[in-house]
Amino acid sequence: MHGHNPAFYETLSSFLGGYYLSLAAMNGVAACYLWVSGRGRRLFGVPTYLLWLFSALAFTIVSPLAASGDPALIPGLSQGFRNVLDAIFNPVVYSVGSLVLVFGMFFARRFFVNPTVAWIVLNSAFVFMGLSMTDPDFFEIVKKPDNVPIVGMVYLLGFFTWVGASQAVKNDDRRRQGLGPLEAEDQEKVLVWPDLVYTEMICMIGLMALLIVWAILLQAPLEEPASSVKTPNPSKAPWYFLGLQEMLVYFDPWMAGVVLPSMVVFGLMAVPFIDFNKAGNGYYTIDERKFAYMTFQFGFLVLWVTLIVMGTFLRGPNWNFFGLYETWDPHKVAALNNVDLSEIVWIEMLGMERPRPAPDDGLLVGWSKILLRESPGIILVVLYLAVLPPALVLYSKFFRGMFVRMGFLRYMLLTNLLLFMMMLPIKMVCRWTFNLKYIIAIPEYLTNF
Amino acid sequence: MADQRNLSVEEILSTCRAADGGGGAADVASTPEPAPVSEKPAGKPKAAAGDAKKMSVEEMLAAARGDAVASASSERASDEPSVPTEQPAAVAAKSPGEMSVAEMLAAARGGASKEKPKPAAKSPVAKKPTAKKPAAEKKEVSGPKDTTSILAMARKERKPGPISKAEAASQGQGVTSKRKMPEMPERPAYVQPAAPAANEDRRTFFGSFFGAFLGSSLAVGFSSLAVTNVLWVLGGARFMFPNILTEPPTVFKVGFSGDYALGQVQAKFKAQFGVWVVKADYEGVSQVYALKSVCTHLGCTPNWLEGEQKFKCPCHGSGFYKDGVNFEGPAPRPLERYAIRVADDGQLEVDKSRTFQQELGQWSDVASFVAS
Repeated sequence: MHGHNPAFYETLSSFLGGYYLSLAAMNGVAACYLWVSGRGRRLFGVPTYLLWLFSALAFTIVSPLAASGDPALIPGLSQGFRNVLDAIFNPVVYSVGSLVLVFGMFFARRFFVNPTVAWIVLNSAFVFMGLSMTDPDFFEIVKKPDNVPIVGMVYLLGFFTWVGASQAVKNDDRRRQGLGPLEAEDQEKVLVWPDLVYTEMICMIGLMALLIVWAILLQAPLEEPASSVKTPNPSKAPWYFLGLQEMLVYFDPWMAGVVLPSMVVFGLMAVPFIDFNKAGNGYYTIDERKFAYMTFQFGFLVLWVTLIVMGTFLRGPNWNFFGLYETWDPHKVAALNNVDLSEIVWIEMLGMERPRPAPDDGLLVGWSKILLRESPGIILVVLYLAVLPPALVLYSKFFRGMFVRMGFLRYMLLTNLLLFMMMLPIKMVCRWTFNLKYIIAIPEYLTNF
Repeated sequence: MADQRNLSVEEILSTCRAADGGGGAADVASTPEPAPVSEKPAGKPKAAAGDAKKMSVEEMLAAARGDAVASASSERASDEPSVPTEQPAAVAAKSPGEMSVAEMLAAARGGASKEKPKPAAKSPVAKKPTAKKPAAEKKEVSGPKDTTSILAMARKERKPGPISKAEAASQGQGVTSKRKMPEMPERPAYVQPAAPAANEDRRTFFGSFFGAFLGSSLAVGFSSLAVTNVLWVLGGARFMFPNILTEPPTVFKVGFSGDYALGQVQAKFKAQFGVWVVKADYEGVSQVYALKSVCTHLGCTPNWLEGEQKFKCPCHGSGFYKDGVNFEGPAPRPLERYAIRVADDGQLEVDKSRTFQQELGQWSDVASFVAS
């Protein structure tokens, strides 16, 4: 569609030339460091610094090609490949895929914390970004000043997750050898003045410089004056609230806007009372705290970060789901005929009319009709939140041990918080597979669940 | 004693001191060459030469300390020779080298505590920087600080440290100041309450009134502050009622019913009034109604998509049919209707002050539509 837009390629090449050049510099520095320090490893018998040196050379060659501005020379992804990627990208694949990815990285953490592997993953991610940018639709999203911090955040988060996992794996190995954690070795005390204060000052100045340069290079994305009757399309929340906005698609505003965020805040406040295990205090570990580690990564990476990425890259006009390289067409037709659970049960399964309160019914009769109509959802929610935790105690050895250690109240609090966390992916998948809107829907009294 | 010249300086000194102190302490024996003192070198005469250099610093110190205690107690013993002083002296004199450090310290403390500080300062003990000893002394001198004594005090229902007046009163020891307080002077005449004016007329009333509000510079200041504040509040209240209201009226006309084709959604009133005027079949009846352009999910403004024949919200993707009923996305209930009627001049008139909700069965209200 944007085919050979010269203006687009001019902007693109002016960016990509420097981009590939900095990738070359990055790999060159890494190769130099490994060669000088002699800390390099071997991959299939080849010293890794040679590998990074060749990567640096390759990026150096690609850089002028990308800077040339000629669509034929800029390395990119073929249209067919992009179409395939768009076709297989749907919300279920995305949400389930991110869940699987997090768990896969958890189980294969010993593989991923290997510095050589991590460096290859980092390079691949940068190359993928560079190749994807040749797509005008993708570039349109990435270059938007609002979205620059999100792209940065994705890479930064990858780095920090890797650092944490790598330290934890080291400590776990040491524990297996009967040694204490690395953090216990390093008990050297550092003076506040001058060490800490100077470090802070240098960081402050560096950060200020970065922000000033950023503010000059990327203009603040000001839009037209606000109007109460005109909403931009798509209308996106600030990037840090995109997860909440995504949650609002699946829940009633009262639930997703008030109840669930409060549960996040109060649940985090309750963590010290729920989690009395002292293992892992003050040092990195995964083996000692597998459950806690995965609960956190699930809540943070899957339920928060991937939803931000989804809201940024995959949500277009009318909040429709678009592939990474798909043009944002405001008239995209998506079949989203959503039904409440009561409709599924009463009309589709039982084949009868839903009980419906008549306008002249009294309060009691009206309510009992509403409750009868919503009884399938109410029963399901009670089963989920009140019966499932005790059932887990009976049938799961892991939860039984937890129950014995924690006691009834703490156990119920923990499992209910966990179940509320799980409810988001469950409802997402239900929405995308069964078109389920609300489990309990009482629009008469603005109560939906 | 033949190999005495091979002894180190410390050894010789310690021997001398031991001889000196031992002699003093063992005053009972009153012999310048007491047997216990020479016991050690005599006891191991063969080892003396070899051991002399092998003595560790601790041993020497211990020896010296033992001597010091012995000599210190000897001073006292010379004043009033009594039985208890004999014991440490005897212990010290017995074998300074064999005593443990703890024993010596204990002995030293025992000696120091029994003594007056003056001779202690003079004695060679003071010169030796033993950290424990001053601490031990302090412990004895200052008030009860250890756990047992504090507990004991607490059991006696008394806190250590200062007590409040109430506590003192409850313990029966009233706060009696020993200082003699000066007598209160007579109140001067100018602070005596003025005698009430005999005749209160209008003039004195206004006089006191202005006196209160403008009588001093402070009164003037506070009065003007109060006046300014009142003016600000009044100005703010006036701000709430502007002369010209740029808001569109809540009751407005949207043209004649005949101007609308069946199935038409008129979106031109949305930008100004936030309303879609629709002429369509609803439940088999052709009617004109005004839909409020606010999404029932979270209050964004949906758009009318002519091609798809639906209202679509850009925020979370809620979709509504032409009649306003929700069918996709998270919106829990249909769009709301505004009141609409045929005005006296035959035009349709929308009243935004009343809304009608389908889920409450209000769309059957005749005020919510105009039959056409």
